[in-house]
This record gives sequence, C-alpha cells and structure tokens, in this order.
Amino acid sequence: MAKLPGPLEIYPLLPGTNCQVCGEANCMAFATKMAEHTVKLKTCTPLFDEAKYAKKLEKLKNLVRPPIREVVIGTGEKAVSVGGKLVLYRHDLRWSNPTAFFLDAPDTLDAEGLAARVKSIEEWTYVYIGTNLHLDGIALRGVSQDPKTFAAAAKKLTKLTDWPIILCSLDPKMLAAAAKAIADKRPLLYAATLETWAEVGELAAKHNLPLVACAPGSLNNLASLVGTLRAIGVEDIVLDPGTTSRTGLGNTVDDFTQLRRSSIIEDNELLGYPILGAPITVWADYKKDEAPELTKWDEVLTASAQIVRYTDILVLHSVDMWTNLPLTFLRSNLYTDPVKPVAVEPGLMEFGEVDSESPVMYTTNFALTYFTVESDIKQAGVNAYLLVVDTEGMSVQSAVAGRKLTADGVAEALEEYKVAEKVNHKILISPGMAARISGETEEVSGWTVKVGPRDSSGIPKFLQEGKWKEE
Amino acid sequence: MTTDKERTTSLDDMFGDFAELVLENVTIELDELRLALRPMVQQIAKAAARPALEMPKSLIPASFTPPLGEYTQVIQEITLGAKKGQGGTRSKTVTIGGHTAPAWDLFQAPPKHPPIIAADVFDMPISLAKMVKMHYKEVLDDPAEWAKLVVDKFGADVVTLHLISTDRQLGDTSPKDAAKTIEEVLQAVKVPILIGSAGDPEKDGPVLAKAAEVCEGERTLLCSATVDVYEEIAEAAKKHDQVVLSWTSIDINQQKELNRRLFEWLTPEQIVIDPTTAALGYGLEYAFTIMQRMRLAGLLGDEELRFPISSGTTNAWAAREAWMNNPELGPRELRGPIWESVTALALLLAGNDLFMMMHPAAIKTVHDLVDWMRERQSIKPEDYPDWTTLSIPEGT
Amino acid sequence: MSFEDIPVDIGVVYEGERVRGKDMFVELGGPKMEQKFELAIARDMGDIEDEKVTIIGPDLKDMEEGSYHPLGIVVEVAGKEIEPDLEGVIERRIHEYVNFVEGMMHLNQRYDIWLRLSKKSFEKGFNSFDFLGKVLMRLFKSEMNIIERIQVTFITDPEVVAERYDDAINRYNQRDERARGLSDTEVDTFYGCSLCQSFAPTHVCTITPQRYANCGAISWFDGRAAARVDPKGPLYAIPKGETIDEFRGEYVGVNQAYTEKSLGKVNSVALYSAFEKPHTSCGCFEAIAFVIPEVDGLGIVHRDFKGDTVNGLPFSSMADSTAGGRQVPGFHGISIEYMRSPKFLQVDDGWNRIVWVPQSVMERIVDFIPEDVRDRIATENDAMNIGDLKEFLKQKSHPVVNRWVELEEEAEAAVLAADAGTDYIAVPGEMTAMVGGVGGGLEIIFKNAKIYAEKVIIRRTGKGDKKK
Repeated sequence: MAKLPGPLEIYPLLPGTNCQVCGEANCMAFATKMAEHTVKLKTCTPLFDEAKYAKKLEKLKNLVRPPIREVVIGTGEKAVSVGGKLVLYRHDLRWSNPTAFFLDAPDTLDAEGLAARVKSIEEWTYVYIGTNLHLDGIALRGVSQDPKTFAAAAKKLTKLTDWPIILCSLDPKMLAAAAKAIADKRPLLYAATLETWAEVGELAAKHNLPLVACAPGSLNNLASLVGTLRAIGVEDIVLDPGTTSRTGLGNTVDDFTQLRRSSIIEDNELLGYPILGAPITVWADYKKDEAPELTKWDEVLTASAQIVRYTDILVLHSVDMWTNLPLTFLRSNLYTDPVKPVAVEPGLMEFGEVDSESPVMYTTNFALTYFTVESDIKQAGVNAYLLVVDTEGMSVQSAVAGRKLTADGVAEALEEYKVAEKVNHKILISPGMAARISGETEEVSGWTVKVGPRDSSGIPKFLQEGKWKEE
Repeated sequence: MTTDKERTTSLDDMFGDFAELVLENVTIELDELRLALRPMVQQIAKAAARPALEMPKSLIPASFTPPLGEYTQVIQEITLGAKKGQGGTRSKTVTIGGHTAPAWDLFQAPPKHPPIIAADVFDMPISLAKMVKMHYKEVLDDPAEWAKLVVDKFGADVVTLHLISTDRQLGDTSPKDAAKTIEEVLQAVKVPILIGSAGDPEKDGPVLAKAAEVCEGERTLLCSATVDVYEEIAEAAKKHDQVVLSWTSIDINQQKELNRRLFEWLTPEQIVIDPTTAALGYGLEYAFTIMQRMRLAGLLGDEELRFPISSGTTNAWAAREAWMNNPELGPRELRGPIWESVTALALLLAGNDLFMMMHPAAIKTVHDLVDWMRERQSIKPEDYPDWTTLSIPEGT
Repeated sequence: MSFEDIPVDIGVVYEGERVRGKDMFVELGGPKMEQKFELAIARDMGDIEDEKVTIIGPDLKDMEEGSYHPLGIVVEVAGKEIEPDLEGVIERRIHEYVNFVEGMMHLNQRYDIWLRLSKKSFEKGFNSFDFLGKVLMRLFKSEMNIIERIQVTFITDPEVVAERYDDAINRYNQRDERARGLSDTEVDTFYGCSLCQSFAPTHVCTITPQRYANCGAISWFDGRAAARVDPKGPLYAIPKGETIDEFRGEYVGVNQAYTEKSLGKVNSVALYSAFEKPHTSCGCFEAIAFVIPEVDGLGIVHRDFKGDTVNGLPFSSMADSTAGGRQVPGFHGISIEYMRSPKFLQVDDGWNRIVWVPQSVMERIVDFIPEDVRDRIATENDAMNIGDLKEFLKQKSHPVVNRWVELEEEAEAAVLAADAGTDYIAVPGEMTAMVGGVGGGLEIIFKNAKIYAEKVIIRRTGKGDKKK
C-alpha cells in the first residue's frame, strides 16, 4: 500500500540551506509540513530553479507524489485542485481537495440565459460553521452539436465568469473549436473515448489541458485508454468510468470503489487519477411534464453516493437550494480532518428573550457539544445565555482532562464577552463534567459557580428547579 | 566576430552610443561555442521536442484487476423476530449481518443480508418536526395504530416501540404498565418488534427487563445497553433469549469495552451495535467514520466489533436545515426527507444494517437504494447516456 | 451503595468545590500545620476489621469553629488481588473521594494534604469523621472491587500525628525507590492503554516499569491496578512474551499487541528509540522529542511551552507530525516521567543526544540527567535558533558534537559527487539577463561550426533609448 513519507525521509532531499524562501523557519520545518501534506513542494523554489538540486527534486517528486495525482482546472484565484488523495479511508489521515461541484450550462442558451445561469451558480451560498458553502465551476455542454456555437458559448462564458470550466462534448471537432477559443483559461476537456483518443489526446497535449478519459462500463477499457493517452503525452488526466443511477447505482459505487482502491491499496499508478462523476445523467430519463423534483431527488442521491465513494469532480444540473444544501454539507463533513475536532465560534449566545435575570451557562466550542447543548436549551424553551468557551474544539470532558478547559479560560471568556454587563447577578452555571474546576473558576473569575447537570438533557429540569439562584 | 570569451572588449567599446548593432550576411566560423540555456529556453526546447514522441497506431490494451481484499472474519448474523414454530407469534423474521466484505464492495462480495428499516413508534404523543408530524397526526396517541400505519402504509420491515412515557419526567409509567403497550403493539402488527427505553438511567434497566419478559419467545431487540446501564438488561436478555442493542457515544473503544462486558451474559447472536448517529451537518462524519472502522475491524478479526450496526437515523431531524421554515432554503417537504435520506445513504455506505427512521419518503428511499445496489447490473457501454447533449428543460 | 445515612450530599458534582476561609468550620492539615499525611497500606486479610472507622484525637464535633488541626488519614485494605505495589494507586483516590462530599474540600496529596469542612455541612450534621470514613469505605469498595476489606483511621492528636509522620515519609520514599528501581526485566506483563485510541486507531500505548504512558498520567502500577480492578476496561495486560532485544525494548508480546490492535498497520516497535521503529502516540503526550538534523540531536518541548522552540516550530506544529498513531522517526511523543527513566531513549544514545530542553522541564528532571551532560544541554535561555545552538553545543563540548565530524565528511562526499556531474559555465553579464531565469539549465556546445545568418542583431539591454 502507498506509504506516506515522514519528515526524516523528506529532509535529506531538500536543499538544507535553511534559506526560508518557503516561509518556514528552516528546512526541517518545511519537511514536517510536507509530511503532513499541509504545504506544496513547489513552495521550495530553489529546488526547482537550481540545477544542482535536479536529482533531489526528481526523487522528492516521486516520494511525495500522492497515489491519486492532483489536477488543476481553471486559472487564477478560482482555479480548483482535484484529486491529490493520499488515503482510501479518511480515518487513515484525511481527505484533501473536496469534491468540486460543476453545474451545467447548455451551449444553446442565449446571452441573457447564459448570464442568468452563471449568476445563479456563482451566487449559490450558505453559511455553515462560519464558512460560506459554495459551488465550484461550470460545465458547458455541447448540446448544439455545432462547433461554432460551442466555441462562441465558451468564449462568452469566459467573459461572464472567471470560474473553472469543463468543456463537455464527445465530438473532437467541438472540443477543438472550444479549446482553441479558451485554452488560456485551462478548461478541463471532456472527453476522450476509445474512438477519439488520438484526436482529442493530441488536442489536450497541444494546449497542455487536462483531459477526461471516458470509457463507461469497462475498467479494462478505461485502463487501455489512460495508458494510450499517456503515451501521447497527456499528463493531466481525469477518469470517467461512467455514472449510472437508480438500478445502476450499485455499478457506479462499485466501479469507483475499485478504481480508488486499486490505486491506493494496490499501488496501481496507471489509474492513479481523479475521478469524475456525472449525477446529471439522471436527466436522461426525465420526461417532459414530469415533476422535476423526483429527478432532482435521484440526482441528490447519486451525487451523495459519489461524494462518499471517492469522486473528485461532480457534474450536476440542479442549482436549487434544497438539493445543494445536503450535498455541500456532506462534502464539508467528510472532508474535515478527523483528527482535528470541529469547532464553532466561541462567544456569548442568547436564547429566547433574555434579560438581566436570565441564567448564564457555559460550555465548550466542540461542535458536537455545542449543538447538543443548543438543541436542549431550545427544546426547553427557556430564556438563557450560553457562554461558548474556546477549548480548541474539545468536548467538556476531554477539555477538562486535557487541561484545555481551565478556570483561567472560563474567566477570560467571561471578560472577553462582557457577560457581567448583561446580567445583574454573578452566577455561572457550569457543565456537570467540569465540576472539578468549579472552585478554581470561582476564585479566578469572582463569579459564583453552580455545577449543573452532567448531560445537557438535564438542563430544562435544572433551570426549572431554580436552585441555581440560591446563594 | 569573436566571442566574449576570446577578447575582453567592453560592451561600451562595441556599442558606443548605439543600443543595437545589426550585421548582415554574416558567416561565423567557430572552433567552439557554448551556449548556456536557462529554464525558460528549456521549456521551448521541450515543447519543440514533443512531436518527436511516437504516436501510437492504435489503443494500447491494458487490463484492470479487481483489488480484492483479504477478510478473515464474517460479520455476525442476527435474527430478530420468531414465528409460531419458533416460539413466537411473528409472521416473519428478519436477519441482518453475515457480510464477508466491506459494505457495497460488490466486486468483493455483495452484502449477505440487505439492511432493513425500523420505523419509530412512541408510546405517547411527542413533538415532531412539522414535515414528519403531518404523516402521523392521526396516530400520535395510539401506538397500536401507529405501528399498523408504518408497517402497512410505509413499508417498515420492523417496528421500534419507544417507551418514553416511562421517563420520570414524562409520566413515569411503570414497567408493568409499559408492558401493556408492548402487548398491544404485538397484537397489532406481526413484524418483529424492537423495544426502546426512555433514556432515564433509573428506569431503563427495569423497563427493558420487563420488556424482555413480556416479549419472551419473540426475539426482540432491547434498546439499549450503555456503559452506565447494562447489567440488568443483559441479565434479562440472557434469561429470556433476547437481543441487546449495545449503544455507545462515538467512541470505538467504549464500544469494544461495552461489548466485552456484555459477553459475560450474552452470546454473539445477541448483540447489535450502535455508535450513535449525528445528523448531516452536525457530526455525521463521526458516525460515518466510526461505522466504517468498526465494520473493517470486524472483517479483519476483531471479535468485539464483528456485529451488525444500527443507526438512529431519525436524529437527522435535529439539523435545523431539515425542519426550519425558511422558503429561501427550498420547500420543507423536500428538504426534510432528503436530509434524513442523505444521512441514511452515507451510513448505508459505511456499513449500517438497521435504520431507525420516521419520514415515509426517506424510508422508501432507503428501501429503493438497497434494492438498487444489491447487485451489479449488466450495463453495456452503449447504454450509458451521453449527458453532454441532453436537452434538459429550462427552469428545472 | 447508598449514602442516605450521611447528612450531606455525595456526588461527582462537588468535585471542584472550594471552601473559603470565612465559610469553613475547621481546617485540617494545610499550610498552617507542619505535619500532615494520608496513607494507604496493604494488609493481610486477618489484620483488618472490615468497615471499622477509628478516630485518634478530637473528632469534628469536639473542634472549635474556625480552628486548625493536624491530620493523618490511614486507609488500610486487604484482598486477594491487593499488594503493596497498588498502595499509591489507592492512595491517590482519597483526594477524589473526599471531594465528593458536599462541603468538604481536599487539596494535594501525601504529606501536603489540605482539608476544610464548611460550616454549612457541619450544621447539616456532618460532625464526625465517622461519616467521612463511611463514605470513603463505600466508594473504595464499590469502585475497586479488588478491595475486600477496608478500615480507615483519622488521626488528629498532634502527638500521634508526629509519631506516625516519619513512618509515612519512609513509606513514600520506599515506594518511589521501588517504582523507579523496578526494571522491565523483572516483570512478565506490561500494560496497554486504549483511552486515547479513538482518534488514533493504530496507536497502542505500552506502559512498562521503565516507560511511563505518553500522557504522563499512568504508571505501570496504575496499569496493573486498573487491569485487575476492571479487566474489561481500557487498561489491559500485554504479556511481554519473549525478549527480542532488551536494549531496544523489543518484545514479542508487544509486537503482537500492536499487530492485533492496529489491524496490521504497525507490527514492530522498539520501546526505547525515537528513530528506529518508535513507539506511537495518539494526541495527548506531555512532550515531544524532536529531531534537529543540523546538529544530529533531539530537542524536547512540552505542551505548556509557549511560542517557537529552537528550530522555529512551536509545540503545536510538531504535534501534528507526532500524533495520529503513526511511527514517525524523529517525532516522538513522551511523558515527563519517562525522561527520568534510566532507559530514556537509550537506543539513540539517551541524554547524550538531547541538545535542547525548556528550562521549566529541566528543573523537574535535572537530577536524572547524567552529571557529565547536564550543563551541556541548552535551554531557551541559551539558544533560540540553530546557529546559536550549534555554537553553544560546540562551546560546551556536548557529546553530540562528535557525531558532526562524520556528518560533515558525508556531506563533502555528496558535494563532490554533485560537482563532477555538472560542467556549468556561466555566460557573462548582460547576456544572462537576456535569456532570463536564475540558475539551472542546459548547455549547447557547437564544435567546428559554421553559422550563416542573414542578420545578426546584437542588442544591449537596460540602457534605455539610444540611437539605432
């Protein structure tokens, strides 16, 4: 199985000059970050610029090459990196480069229509745990089947947006026309097939563009296609083993799993490339006058299954809120670092109609803890303040044990969020699991600490009983 | 013309006031001239060199070998329910588990027994998200009717009867009285029944012990034993031959520990595990990863984790995005059930075997998914649609 | 187990409560008393009168409000599985259990104990050590089922406290000596801990008499007690098995445990090395031993150290490389106590390889660093960058300097090899600017060539507009 190198394997292949061009204090620091895959090799510019490091560079490139190569689509700030996966299971390290969502636009739209479509894609957003969830690119489909129309639409598209683009057509002439028009924007070419590999392969090599190898329904065919494209000189390849939905969903899940497993566990480097999934295929069965919701439903299911099973690029149609919310959430969840706990913003939360008599409770900023407590308070329907203390995302129990939830920390939070100004009492209700630091917290903060229930489900009863108000 | 190497003439001498010298019809004879090219020039050289690559005349054939894994242990088969000949009164039994491969790795082996769905029934009216409540309005105060509804109309494979009224805060129903409700439900439907306690640490033991007694012969799943409350439940399960849901809190070691303790009373045929399900967006990835790890560990020989897995998928509704009334987020009628469905789908792919669910659309979806994915279909390459040319109506 | 007969509430919820001077009924032990102690002693079954509470000296009800008294607490236990080695583990729980009593505060341990009883609790009726004794005995028996018989004695008579004090100190010293003196070879069983494995699935913490747990909280004795009390719990026995290499700390049993628990991802561990097949870490290690390749040595940094260390990286950055249950040579999670072990990183040359340690850690372990290296190790006050560190080590003739000679020789050989390959000759001055780039590249050599050009333009760059 592909083994990830440690800092000591990487360090000897670096210049060793501690020149700091990369922004790190020294080469060892850079090596540790490389080992964690939190910095890219190209940041060490001397390695690339100086001939004397050429041999080391080659060795290093091979050493740190992820089993699934990384492909960049688009240019500038909005360019998206896909692939670059290091492990099969996220629990073995983490998944990098979240699945990129490309929403389609047919080349048959008029100028207004295209502009509207682009706008709806670019503006789709939702705030989740302090980040703006968003879509990632536009897949221009050659519905017209006319190269001139396709190329013109591509050009128009690049004027409307700087988002990454996939040029989608199985016709080499269509692709050639559009690629010529917008090659400098580095679009992904979809696709080369068993029939068109020579023409389309050359096209991709000529313009140095990433290319999808499409061979639906046969992994042998896909392997042949990829090998042949490499022989032509195409380096940035994306795999499309074909997407089928509904009764065909098992095939899709199985094919994608086999591909990814083969590259990472069996070190099959021939197919170590990002995978493209096309839930949009559900629309092939859509009949006019049918409720589109049913087809959208299936699109969401197909896309979800593919996000879970190793897909790096998705081509989607529905730009609705209700379809993309679960997908962006799912993507966000699976691509979090399993070792780093998910945290919410610390601060002072208000529930119900708070006033100067309302109880003040505190908890930690571990997402799971916070949401559970929040939900229990809401269910209780009480008016209360909740102080969320920064414990670097650890739960109450862990944070007390790991000394991340301390009397000092709680006192600081009380100060920082000016809790004393909100209420006319100085009683702080602590989580039951933080009983151990209650006395110390009183001493440091000057507040009276009342130890609350060990589980937040006990909050409603605890507050109702009212004992916390007693001196 | 000499090179700079042979004469040290300053550039100023050469050029004087001029910026440029142009020589025409020049012949340069050299013994040796070295040009050092920098990277930029190198690139051009490389590009120019490309056509020199030989173009393959035809597709270079390659083959793909399915990446089969090696799994040394089979996931335990657990059967719930018992028919007349077996000591019970159910009309069917269900079996889960038995897998020899990671979930849905069809190339390795399909799941032995398909995952099933347990619809939630409560022994008293509870507050539900509007989009769920609308399907249960009529039956909220009649557990027997509720059970009939989920089996007959929504297609639930089994029913979970949650005895929440036994919670000291919610009515403090005695185990004996709760048992009456169990009997009503046993009469009303003939699918296997699962019994859920209220989550009250003082009552759960006695309530589930009584349930075990009342359900003797029916092979029910007692939900649940936890690290804090398990002895009484395990004893009762042993005495009355029931199955126990071993429920822990997103902690794989806690799960192993609880199972170790349960082994003192129970055989492997009596345990199903539940690592706790958190909603999509609110911790789902923890449940997903733990399930995946537990399933793999079970297949690779860990005896404490070789059991089928259960999920409280209804927890998906804890996500506010599932129920909040905000038209900007799209219709709740779709948003809610899709939330429960995607939560379920992620866990289905991680290896979950028993889904505790509520919304009928989500229940149908999970059943569909299981049916769809059970086996590879034979789909020819030409049957894959060309989505690049699809005409999709505008406004969809 | 019930506490209905106790006049105050008993529970975990009171664990952290403080009793202020103005609220206290009495203070026992504490800074005003020179002698105080708490002790757990393992006895034979026959020597104990089960559940007996003895009070020597004034009881609580005999004390005046606001007064201060010396205190000795003696908990004697017996049971099939009880042995003197477990005394420390048992003793540490006195602090926990006393704190469970509403209105009672217990701080510190051993000869530093400091207790207070609140007026409120006294008024509620908690006026005798008898109650405290009952609480302790019940909690001990319920939480540690290996305790079959128990008796508790409270001593408040100043003379008797003084009498027993020296004995107590002796016992502590003997225990510590034994703990530090016990070697890996003297035992058959190590202990594994899975408490922090949840987020590091391939991590198995192996605790031996000479290798404390990474988190700093669990000794071999603790492991032994816990595994006995709760064999199904998170601490479990790892039979040592055959010794593969005692110096490196490689044992068949340990390797087996790793292979099983990590599902095959880790299968061979050398307990006493940070470089070769190092022991793994989860995420809660007390400190990191990190490689400083420029001096071929190891630095130490602990969790509480603020800011960058000598290599420009703070604890948190290096923690990423150290954590996650992987064997990462050069990034090794350790506990402070392990640094006191005679086997501390002995495969890597032990203290002769340690070049930098934070001052506050030094103070805690200085007595365990061999005298001849002690003053040659840098702290943050001596060096905060590699350059200064190198100087310091050279100046102090730190043993690690001897390794440098070898290193330099290797490096030179490498440079020579590199030089031989390239025949790079720079093209002078302005011509370089025309072609661009900074270093690297190709050479094209024309030999015996005739170049015919229709036009040759030689242009000067960077001199602005001039006549053409």
